[in-house]
Amino acid sequence: MGNRSVIVEKARREGRKTLSEYESKDFLKSYDIPVTREILVRTREECKKATQAIGYPLVLKGCSPHLAHKTEKGLVRVDIRSEQEAVLAFDDLTSRMEGNEKDILVQEMIKGTRELVAGMTRDPQFGPCVMFGLGGIFTEILKDIAFRVAPLEIRDALEMTQEIKAHKILGAVRGMPAADMELLCDILVKMGEIGMENEFIQEIDINPLILSGAKPVAVDALIVLKVPV
Amino acid sequence: MSDQYISRRAPSMTNPVVLDNLKTLFNPHTVAVIGASDNPGKLGSHVMKSLTSGGFKGTIVPVNPGARSVTSLPAFSSLEDFPGEIDLAIVVLPAKLVPGIFQECSRKGVKGIVLISAGFREIDDSQGAALQNTLADLANKAGTPVIGPNTFGMVNLHADLNASFTPEFSWLPKGGIAIVSQSGGISHLMGFMAMRQNAGISKIVGLGNRLNVGFAEMVTYLMGDPDTRVVALYLEGLDEPRALMEATRQTRFAKPIVAYKTGSSRTGDQASLSHTGSLAGRHEIYEGALKQSGALYVDSAERLLDTARALALCPLPEGRKVAILSGQAGPAMAASDICEAEGMEIASFHPETQRWIDELLPPLALRTNPVDMGPAWYNASAIEGIIAAVMEDRGVDAILLLMMFASANRAAISGFSEILLKWKQQKPVVACLIAPPGIWDEEVRRLEKGRALINIPTPERAAKALALLWEYKKMKRRNNGMLE
Repeated sequence: MGNRSVIVEKARREGRKTLSEYESKDFLKSYDIPVTREILVRTREECKKATQAIGYPLVLKGCSPHLAHKTEKGLVRVDIRSEQEAVLAFDDLTSRMEGNEKDILVQEMIKGTRELVAGMTRDPQFGPCVMFGLGGIFTEILKDIAFRVAPLEIRDALEMTQEIKAHKILGAVRGMPAADMELLCDILVKMGEIGMENEFIQEIDINPLILSGAKPVAVDALIVLKVPV
Repeated sequence: MSDQYISRRAPSMTNPVVLDNLKTLFNPHTVAVIGASDNPGKLGSHVMKSLTSGGFKGTIVPVNPGARSVTSLPAFSSLEDFPGEIDLAIVVLPAKLVPGIFQECSRKGVKGIVLISAGFREIDDSQGAALQNTLADLANKAGTPVIGPNTFGMVNLHADLNASFTPEFSWLPKGGIAIVSQSGGISHLMGFMAMRQNAGISKIVGLGNRLNVGFAEMVTYLMGDPDTRVVALYLEGLDEPRALMEATRQTRFAKPIVAYKTGSSRTGDQASLSHTGSLAGRHEIYEGALKQSGALYVDSAERLLDTARALALCPLPEGRKVAILSGQAGPAMAASDICEAEGMEIASFHPETQRWIDELLPPLALRTNPVDMGPAWYNASAIEGIIAAVMEDRGVDAILLLMMFASANRAAISGFSEILLKWKQQKPVVACLIAPPGIWDEEVRRLEKGRALINIPTPERAAKALALLWEYKKMKRRNNGMLE
């Protein structure tokens, strides 16, 4: 709990509108939402150490609260399989980043082809609302999403997961196990809780939320803060 | 922690005085029409016609300072000139005169007001909104529920009360469906569709700008209204959507609620902003919120009516397995397509059922489900036998009964009427029995009246209505903690 407020207070003090990926996930983790294992590094030496702690294959990402659309900016390197590759990627990413804060995220690589999205948005009339749907590049293209108003009951969460057109991807398909529905619903309920308990959070995006086997894991996340009036 | 999102609008439904007054508003003994007129160019004349031709049994009090009588009833120059008590005042005067009238109503102890006048929050001029706020303060202080402003009014068929400017609403058959709408146009559409389909209505209420009676208050009231079995809502946008969610949640599944909301397009949202002066929230959130609070969500006015009718007149299916019995193959195929797309299942008949059907039908047509009863056109007892066999089949949860008229099958319907009337939908029977106007109308009416089936204008709509009955059943089960 203490950690949560530290993360957000820091961002607000700095007059920021968003939390970085690392901060966002740190916040979500405090609500027991499963996120990728990851370490924030600034130097090559830290990077090397982190790769040992995370293990291969892994992902390197540029990480800054000012960074949206990391993939489009070429700031994501996936499937890194050795220290040599990691150092090369580290150098390349830092060279692409502007400013002094060149934080790099060393992250476990989640294997899974089923990408989902979970989100929270604060509607001026309804208050905090939770979204669930198809994630990754399909979120915007197919708009296969469902909303519920916070607070959510487990039943509401379950209904949302059944409401999207693509709900069958949550089942046991093509040799993949069925999604852990208990955990998935718990994540959606928690998203509503975060909205109810944290007035200063305007929006949350967990996209993608990847099914690693049966388990949903937040692979990327963004928390948007309310602009102080 | 969520208090800030819950409505604090007065009068609250926790105030029993207001709820009682709403009861009186819909069931008045004495109704005053303020702005009553004999001039057909004035809305006041249409309201008078609605009340008088609608067969209202109570006292009608026309108020018009310039007339001695209206519609051959003695007129009064003011409310206070009438010696008795007034339960309901219908106001059809220019907006600027209304605050004075509200004060008069309050002094007179009027229990409820239907405010038809326009020119309030819905107009561009900000004075309209200011005027509406003034009225809200006056009404709330007096504890008076107000339907409107900017509405056609309301109709309570079971009280023979037509408090609207549309006298023809009184032609509606009495029944269990309450229509609560934010749009006068959609209310009229629903009302006229209901007439054509002989759908029984309990109330039609045009909420207009919702001075202090909104969807939340209406849902709370209708849940306790003995004449209403199903509530059909048409929404564009709400000022305090959480209040409706609270109301539906509190009475969750006491009676079915079906909701249709427009405004998914950008133009739709703009229209709702200027039209009834409300801020339309995001459509997807509305959809989620309505489902969350236990309402069936539909996407058209005809579906709103079909579903409300089905919920009012059919039992809920226990499962998803449908038998499709059809006088022709094509309509059966159309219905099957919808059933499968909507998560229903075409039942496999029990061998005993199938044996019966095979005996009754020549091997010319489809004899498995869906059953093409075409070859039995001339043989009413064969059709009756098929229906009887399917009724008994435990693997069938609902029946879709489809038949298009042909000169040769004219008598078929009377052949199977008796058995259906006796059975009284032990499982839901959704029908599409269609003939040229006048030919089967009476038989169909008799079957509907006897709760033997409901008749819906197309096989696709019939199948969809059945699928929505099943959807509602599933929602209810989930509510009881039964998760599939």
